[in-house]
Amino acid sequence: MPSLGGLLKKRRTKDSQTLSSELPPSSENHSPPDTHEESASMQPAGSSQASPQQPNNAASINNLINNPDHASQTQQHSSAHGHNVDSPHQHQHQHQHQQKQERTTKGKYSQEDFLLQRTLGTGSFGRVHLVQSKHNHRFYAMKVLKKAQVVKMKQIEHTNDERRMLNRVRHPFLVTLWGTWQDSRNLYMVMDFVEGGELFSLLRKSQRFPNPVAKFYAAEVTLALEYLHAHQIIYRDLKPENLLLDRHGHLKITDFGFAKEVPDITWTLCGTPDYLAPEVVSSKGYNKSVDWWSLGILIFEMLCGFTPFWDSGSPVKIYENILRGKVKYPPYLHDDAVDLLSQLITADLTKRLGNLHGGPEDVKNHAWFAEVTWDRLARKDIDAPYIPPIRGGQGDASQYDKYPEETEHYGMEGEDAYGHLFPDF
Amino acid sequence: MAQSSFPGTNPFLDTSTREKSPNIQKISEDEEFEVTSPTDMTFRRANASGPSRDIFGGSAFAEGGSQAGTGAGASLFGRSPFDSGPPGGANDEEDDEQPAALPTGTAQQGFPNNYALGRRTSVSAESLNPTSAGSDSWAPPHHPKSEDQLARLKTAVSGNFLFSHLDDDQFKTVLDALVEKPIPAKGIKVISQGDAGDYFYIVEKGHFDIYINAAGSVQPGPDGLGNKVGTTGPGGSFGELALMYNAPRAATVISTDAKSTLWALDRITFRRILMDSAFQRRRMYEAFLEEVPLLSSLKPYERAKIADALDAIKYPAGATIISEGDPGDAFYLLESGEAEALKNGVPVKTYHRGDYFGELALLDDKPRAASIVTKTDVKVARLGRDGFKRLLGPVEEIMRRTEYQVDASKSPVSA
Repeated sequence: MPSLGGLLKKRRTKDSQTLSSELPPSSENHSPPDTHEESASMQPAGSSQASPQQPNNAASINNLINNPDHASQTQQHSSAHGHNVDSPHQHQHQHQHQQKQERTTKGKYSQEDFLLQRTLGTGSFGRVHLVQSKHNHRFYAMKVLKKAQVVKMKQIEHTNDERRMLNRVRHPFLVTLWGTWQDSRNLYMVMDFVEGGELFSLLRKSQRFPNPVAKFYAAEVTLALEYLHAHQIIYRDLKPENLLLDRHGHLKITDFGFAKEVPDITWTLCGTPDYLAPEVVSSKGYNKSVDWWSLGILIFEMLCGFTPFWDSGSPVKIYENILRGKVKYPPYLHDDAVDLLSQLITADLTKRLGNLHGGPEDVKNHAWFAEVTWDRLARKDIDAPYIPPIRGGQGDASQYDKYPEETEHYGMEGEDAYGHLFPDF
Repeated sequence: MAQSSFPGTNPFLDTSTREKSPNIQKISEDEEFEVTSPTDMTFRRANASGPSRDIFGGSAFAEGGSQAGTGAGASLFGRSPFDSGPPGGANDEEDDEQPAALPTGTAQQGFPNNYALGRRTSVSAESLNPTSAGSDSWAPPHHPKSEDQLARLKTAVSGNFLFSHLDDDQFKTVLDALVEKPIPAKGIKVISQGDAGDYFYIVEKGHFDIYINAAGSVQPGPDGLGNKVGTTGPGGSFGELALMYNAPRAATVISTDAKSTLWALDRITFRRILMDSAFQRRRMYEAFLEEVPLLSSLKPYERAKIADALDAIKYPAGATIISEGDPGDAFYLLESGEAEALKNGVPVKTYHRGDYFGELALLDDKPRAASIVTKTDVKVARLGRDGFKRLLGPVEEIMRRTEYQVDASKSPVSA
């Protein structure tokens, strides 16, 4: 085993912006990072079971093999502290400082720190790979964005925002960003590898979710939205494709491609057609309440297997339906669900839950969520309805669909026409 | 009806009402779940005691559900996360009695035909920002048109969802911004399927054929355009999605006449016009709201929330907005035009742009003390008391806030 220290490349640059814009952790979640070594259990391949006194123990084979005895206890821990999983570099000192001081993610790693594995997903600008850290041998998801494509699609601002917002958030139901860098062609973001795959895949396999199951996922999303909005961050791309299941079946929201700090109003049309709120479609300017609209669409889709405004014709038809605003609730929906949905999927901003005087509490206090004990949920102290069948080690990507691999070699040197546009990476 | 084949269990432990789906179609996911990797590291919790089939149980609702919380495998799903709720509580599945149908059939209740089950791509326009873009320095393009042309253009886009919600000013600015685009020959591809789209077109003169290639874009070769799916002529329009975001063109459009004319509008111009006018209106609302003493203690984000929720309403001259004696239910800002207050038919006050009336209705539904009648065409922004309360809570609390602040700022000697 090579010495860990020798492998650490400290390529950090001064990043006062990241430091100063650091957010406090969520209210449910604010123990200092160095006080809860237990919490690594939420990432069960982590180190805590092997050596609980050392949250950041050096790479060893013990890290890679989860002890089933320990694993069976994990639900009893309050494992809500997403920020305590091991970082790819295992900086011991990181966990001993205040969180504020440890979130330097710019230029933190390079391609040489990771072994590239299969593709987990593809998008308009690039793809997401499973990668393995050469330092701690743990697995991460590496999002690769082609700079030329980002520029061509005029998504420079959104991409910089994505990195900035991800860097600011720490929440059990949000994916964690560990570091970013760039080479002459691409931007790279290293995040948690969330083994359970997309909620999208589970939903399509299931056709639709039973009421309590949809409720469970919706409740976790609600807490994540509450956290984001409390930090004035609008998410703007809620959909099952962007919700991942961890190995215990809890959600993590990923893809912050449209996340942005929006204290009041914003204007850019973005999102996913089925999930767009009417005020987005009609270019009126909109606020964070579009995320509550999308939560309504998400709950509808989980309960029904399809989205309420979908139309076979074209996106134009979908938009016409959204502006018309008529939702047909299938008779098998529970009355409480219909009541909640009709208060989320409403164009009237004086009626849309989440946007009102009570804020997110109005959503959480709705009858449909009556059984949800929110503080326990926030601690992941409630068993998920479905445990992804992850048989392999921490790098088991069997829950992800397969994509054709590309042979592009990452880490190329050469002319970098766009690097200056992405100063944060 | 769409049935669920969710392979997990009810997180809320209402076993008595667990959804039963006897006719559920088995999904072939079983074989995926059954794969046992040679490197299986037994990461699963609590499943050591049983073979994995117990865990996933095929279409697990039928099998696994009934034994929730008992069997070793089922315990993975069967523990109630919120064990308070009594069985038969709010999480009943009510479709137990519904006749089950094939999940992918066409006759299912409400399930759309040909529903696209694939992953959905996100879409995005360019980032636009009214303040940084300097809305004052940008003026929309103005290409003069005859009355006839304007009337035709209006008709052409009247049914289009992107135009139908525009107010008169926005609509006029957008029409003015349309630029003439002569198509000098037959056989010119105005747009090509699969290409990036930046313009929306309205046909003024001439005809155009529309082709769609099932492959999603124009292919090389003689049949590369795909099938002809239609023709459009004067008054027709195409490419409206380009006004929303940069989506690949869904079809190819080719001129069929020797000479034709189109009107074109690009996305950035369109969105700028809409954004600037909405932004200015919003600033106006916020400025108006600052002038209302009753609301003077609102925090900026509260004012923004109100501004988001105001409804613009137009009245012709001579219309009655408020009738004396009616219970008050809404508050109004006068956006343009003139109106006057009448008491017992006698004018007592005139209102102009920026004035407000009816604000006491935010407090209670006391009868209106006067009527408000328009003297000209008038545009008002309206907010109902109920909506106000839903957004910001009771006005009394907000007023109390004011008194508090005022008191604190008063000198001790002032009464």
